[in-house]
Amino acid sequence: MRRISAYFISLLIFPFAFSANAQDSLPVPLKIRIGADVYGPVSYYTNLNNVNKKTLSIEGYLSLDIDTQKAAVIEGGYLNFRYSQYNYTYQSKGAFIRLGVDFNLIRPEAAPGKYYAGIGLRYGLSLFSSEVPFLKQDNYWGGVTGTIPRSTHIAHFIEASPGIRTEIFRNLSMGWVIRLRILLFSNTGKDLKAIYIPGYGNGVKSFSPGLNYYFIWSIPYKSHKNP
Amino acid sequence: MNKKALEFIPIPVLLIALVQLFSCTPQACQEETRSLVKATFYINGTDTIKAPDSLTVYGLGMDTSKIYDKSPGVTIANLPLNASADSCSYVIKINGITDTLTFNYTTYPHLISKECGFTFYHILESYTVTGRAVDAILIRNKNITTVNEENIRIFY
Repeated sequence: MRRISAYFISLLIFPFAFSANAQDSLPVPLKIRIGADVYGPVSYYTNLNNVNKKTLSIEGYLSLDIDTQKAAVIEGGYLNFRYSQYNYTYQSKGAFIRLGVDFNLIRPEAAPGKYYAGIGLRYGLSLFSSEVPFLKQDNYWGGVTGTIPRSTHIAHFIEASPGIRTEIFRNLSMGWVIRLRILLFSNTGKDLKAIYIPGYGNGVKSFSPGLNYYFIWSIPYKSHKNP
Repeated sequence: MNKKALEFIPIPVLLIALVQLFSCTPQACQEETRSLVKATFYINGTDTIKAPDSLTVYGLGMDTSKIYDKSPGVTIANLPLNASADSCSYVIKINGITDTLTFNYTTYPHLISKECGFTFYHILESYTVTGRAVDAILIRNKNITTVNEENIRIFY
């Protein structure tokens, strides 16, 4: 637990601690970054024995530093969600894409391409199918069972994603991102809203939080000399 | 201190802790899941709500399972519809006089929430009533949902 605390604290403090040692004259490398989310797969394996809840989420991203503090980002992924409880079973699966920009709030000379503490803004698009293979309701007249056949939907959302990232080895970073999403539109209709929208989350609610934990490989492609 | 901490990152432990932190703990279903016909009793020819002195209601052929059994003071009767059929009939006895009330409707599923699951909503298309207890019925809102609002008025 102390190590976890130490790690979190270090992620928070590490980038800023370097500001004291900043060397203004050093060129800052601009990088292409390729990241893979590990939170989704870990969550899948920790729930492997839970027959009522199985969500396979594979997600990655590609970013390109525009300058020392902004990066263009494209994220994509695939999600297969299955949820079951006493009165229904629900499945949704599909792909999503998110486009946007990351803003690094650390000064370039303090984070020479290695450290990031900032916020991303995204637009997201999800294309998915959903179905209810089983549902049941009991009332005065007895139990009624039914199914809702598979149908295909689209959803749009926006997102603010504060996060932290730090280089642990040369050109290899790790970090986490908190996702704060707002659903703009989903064509599921008001009666059969999606319980889970790939890339967004709980489609019943207009706000959906989430978390990603990334391993990131960086490729320097250009040096940027600070004026 | 910082570099040391980073060199010994307990990644699996950290990830499991994060998964537990963000995993959705199952919540209890707190919402209304029954969609019912909300029937209010009125004195015939007026806008005055008045509960029958005695009200008995049960599904046709289900007289061993009464929803109301000589109940006094019922101003709003809540009547579930049969989601596996397009119509259902109730025997309704108001102050000792018996009628049969039949509802014709369509049914469709509605998601309440992840915790509660699905229910069935209905659209009330028409009704028939036989007998002498009920003078008239007025459909106020044909959408039979979990929302607590008046659907029909029964004048007696």
